[in-house]
Amino acid sequence: MEKQTEPSGVYEVFVQRDHLDPMMHVGSLLAPTNELALQLARENFTRREQILQIWVVPRTHIYSAEEDDFHAREMDRSYREVSGYTENGRLWRMFKEKEITLEEIVRYVEQKKQSKHDLHREESHES
Amino acid sequence: MDSQRLEEEFVKRVQSGAKIEASDWMPDGYRHLLIKLIHMHAVSEIMGVYPEKEWVPKAPNLRRKLALMAKVQDEMGHGQLLLRIVEDLAAPYGKGREELLDDLVEGKVKFHNVFHMEARTWADAGLIGWLIDGAAIINQASLLSTSYAPYARILKRICAEESFHMQHGENVILSIAMGTDEQRKMLQDSLDYWWYSLLFFFGPLEITPAAQKMLHYRIRTKTNEELRQKFLAKYVPRIWSLGLTIPDPTLHYDSKLERWHYAEPEWEVFQKIVSENKGPKSQERIALRRIAQDQHKWVRLAMTTGI
Repeated sequence: MEKQTEPSGVYEVFVQRDHLDPMMHVGSLLAPTNELALQLARENFTRREQILQIWVVPRTHIYSAEEDDFHAREMDRSYREVSGYTENGRLWRMFKEKEITLEEIVRYVEQKKQSKHDLHREESHES
Repeated sequence: MDSQRLEEEFVKRVQSGAKIEASDWMPDGYRHLLIKLIHMHAVSEIMGVYPEKEWVPKAPNLRRKLALMAKVQDEMGHGQLLLRIVEDLAAPYGKGREELLDDLVEGKVKFHNVFHMEARTWADAGLIGWLIDGAAIINQASLLSTSYAPYARILKRICAEESFHMQHGENVILSIAMGTDEQRKMLQDSLDYWWYSLLFFFGPLEITPAAQKMLHYRIRTKTNEELRQKFLAKYVPRIWSLGLTIPDPTLHYDSKLERWHYAEPEWEVFQKIVSENKGPKSQERIALRRIAQDQHKWVRLAMTTGI
């Protein structure tokens, strides 16, 4: 990485708490060099919590959209969202079944040990 | 430390739940298995677009058309995210995006059996969204606990986007199931066409040496059969509730063995589809992919050189 030479440049700080988490922006700080920025980031942001990784990025290296309408939603996008399909629950009930959610599938697949009942028919089904 | 010691330490780490990052040392065997698995996953996302995009112009209404296009966009996006992970893994072998995509059109990397099949009717398109995506979600959910952290993080994102795919697929199926006799017949016909492809999707019953190694390295934590059983447990009751008949009269839950009994797919027939690209639509779709690969070269060039 190139050495930052201007006195006290602004650095944006990112931390990763767990291998399954993305890098998260936590704040910024002033520092004269990359190395000092890293030291300061550790002291300022991670005094207590256990973290895996810190990134410090000179603010001048961050490029972001300037126009306000860059993120504008020009039309209704419910067709690509779960919230656009809320009628599924009602429709399944017409067939005496219930809707299924992704979270439910993930929990079901990840569960370490299954009871007899789970394997046959998911637990919540008959409730 | 000699390489055997390093390997032993590595296995001990992953088996105790440690996660591996791209920059960590890893055994060549681990790297090869990851490249093979994630490369296949990535190109399957891309080839998975074809059966659905064929229905974009023929979708029954504008909302369905928009939803299908959104799925196509998501799946191409997943392909990109996954290829990025393979690129990092394959960098020591000098393999980049171009080579990884060339492998697809040259038949050097396989994609899932289901994407070699034909989406003949709107019910097929719906069934792909409901059951094929359902099967894929079960497979991907099981990989969330993989020992390779960059893959796990991307899968988390992919699964989140799949939740719309799931609801969309169910919604299409539910509307057909509530339709006319002719529409319900079309749905039944679709289930008949896809059922054994769906069972095959999870892979062979036996634990192959490669699968055994993936379990050893905690790249995977579940066997093919465990996942197939989970799929059956979640989906069979729902298929039945719609009044559909699964084309396997022997299918039942065996409470003594605590597993679903099912008639096995013709493994050799389906295996040939995947390994030799000999499914009903394999060659046609690979040819389309080849055209895209050739004709869009200038786009990739512009995107990678910034000119």
